[in-house]
Amino acid sequence: MLRLIGRRLLLMVPTLILASILIFALAEVLPGDVGRSILGPYATQEQVALLNHKLGADKPLYQRYAVWAGNFVTGDWGESPVLKVPVRPTVMKALGNSMVLAGFALLLIVPISIVLGVFSGLRRDSALDRAITVSTLSMTVIPEFVSGVVLLYIFAVWLKWLPVTAMPPQGSNFFDRFYYLILPAIPLMFLELGYIARMARVGTVQVLAMPYIRTAVLKGLPRRRVIFGHVLRNAMVPTVTVIGSQVGWLIGGLVVIETLFVYPGIGKLMVDAAQTHDVPMLEAAVLVVAVIYMVANLIADIIVALLNPRIRMGG
Amino acid sequence: MDDRGSTLGPDPDLQAEGMQLGADPEMLELRAEAATGPAGQETQANAAALLEQRRQRRYLVRALLRSPTFMTGLIVVLFWVFMALFSQFVTQSPTAVDAMHTLAPPSAAHWFGTDDLGRDVLARTMAGARSVLVIAPLATLLALLWGGIIGLVAGFYRGITDEIIMRLIDVLLALPIIITSILILSLLGKGTAIIIIAIGALFTPVVSRTIRSAVIGEREREYVMAARLRGERSAFVMAREILPNITQPIIVEGTIRLGYAVFTAATLSFLGFGLAPPSPDWGLTIATERIFLQIAPWTVLFPAAALASLVVGVNLITDGLGRVFSK
Repeated sequence: MLRLIGRRLLLMVPTLILASILIFALAEVLPGDVGRSILGPYATQEQVALLNHKLGADKPLYQRYAVWAGNFVTGDWGESPVLKVPVRPTVMKALGNSMVLAGFALLLIVPISIVLGVFSGLRRDSALDRAITVSTLSMTVIPEFVSGVVLLYIFAVWLKWLPVTAMPPQGSNFFDRFYYLILPAIPLMFLELGYIARMARVGTVQVLAMPYIRTAVLKGLPRRRVIFGHVLRNAMVPTVTVIGSQVGWLIGGLVVIETLFVYPGIGKLMVDAAQTHDVPMLEAAVLVVAVIYMVANLIADIIVALLNPRIRMGG
Repeated sequence: MDDRGSTLGPDPDLQAEGMQLGADPEMLELRAEAATGPAGQETQANAAALLEQRRQRRYLVRALLRSPTFMTGLIVVLFWVFMALFSQFVTQSPTAVDAMHTLAPPSAAHWFGTDDLGRDVLARTMAGARSVLVIAPLATLLALLWGGIIGLVAGFYRGITDEIIMRLIDVLLALPIIITSILILSLLGKGTAIIIIAIGALFTPVVSRTIRSAVIGEREREYVMAARLRGERSAFVMAREILPNITQPIIVEGTIRLGYAVFTAATLSFLGFGLAPPSPDWGLTIATERIFLQIAPWTVLFPAAALASLVVGVNLITDGLGRVFSK
């Protein structure tokens, strides 16, 4: 097990280096002349050259990459030339906000998708099963900004049950924050619902076919105990494993939902940085997300290995 | 997009689908016979194989026509294709501005109301199909072309070529696709061609993975061996022998990618990395009109419903195809 984790961690290093080169290359070509874009069209050519020299933008690309990567590792992420704020605290604060939203969405996803999946698995091929499968899969394939905007209309504009914005006004208490997060979290939940509910359904169907379920039923165990004691627990395994592999989708969903609800998370930060050509901010945000994405995938694999002895022993 | 298909692994239906795709033993036998037979019999055996193929194709088409899932999806998608092609003859102009009637609710003159510039929402919703239906299929074809070539080469040669290609693909998939596309599009700027190329390039790694594994399943078969023994060049074996035998997984992969391409193109437009106004593109319209959601919801809800119906339609086609092919 430890060897498996160690090997995967080692594999992450070259991937991360290549990904950072990719990010750097893409982001550095992006603004064209850095000095010119900071000073604007009225600066003289000498001023631009001087600033470029000061920023190190006139050095060759590989040298700039080495400096940037070194600074990043040592925690010096620079300052945003657009927002005039240091990059690291800004990215970290946005990341925290995103984590709260994503965590809240996951809290909703897990129980709801398991309940739906187990229900449709227990009533396999019934009208209820088909209704659940079709509706959850539709929710999953529809872009999150579409479901987001429709939900926003229904619950915030029409019924007025929930607020239109995602952030509570200053001075609100802890629980208010979650009240404001309900609406953004639902489209994020939709994004994952179809797949995770499907896994729970498949798990349920497979467990129900097992001989020990028949034994449990035949020895007169109440249906409730069969479901809670055997079915639910075994249906959870494939469900939990699939959640980790969906982190990429969750990140993509965060980018879109944060933009739609104007929520100050890392997704919104990335979109804004890309649109304003805020290179240091963009690089840092993307690299942080890449690291999180890789670590999340690693954790997902470890959980799968823990649950599956064949992989655990083989590793 | 990281491949969600792989997460469905334990689903028995889907596993069966993967195993049976493109592996019809009868057809393969006929093809192998055609390839190895003496010169005189070759044409005859070829004809038999062709006949068999045609029979198979007819059977598949009939099964698809009977599948309610596939047909529903097809009707929805064809509706939007029709609107993309002909909406200008049916509705008002999608770009005609009317400063006297801005944000007007639905009425007899404007069935879906008007937007903030007084443009007819019905006309814009119908015309909005055009950009998505140009971008998504072309991007998918591009991904199939590039991914097909890479997958064929990696799966056919194996060894060090395969290893290098697969490691590079792992790196490309190390970033969530939406983030790579934001990076690329903010670098290259806006425009239909750029979005098509970007989405095509971003889908290539996943497509090449699928095609590679299909090729690996085929390359040890007798007909491939026979072709190589005949002294055919590798390019010929890949293009004329293996490729025709993996059309089913390619078609299924293509429809899956098409659904994701619609999703991705719309999302990028919404985020402001796609088309520019005054394009009636759905994602763009939802992004620009959403500030009027409280006073004029029709400007947002109709394009949203349109986009949702197209995405679900494409996915119904995918689902129907997968079911029929796996039988």
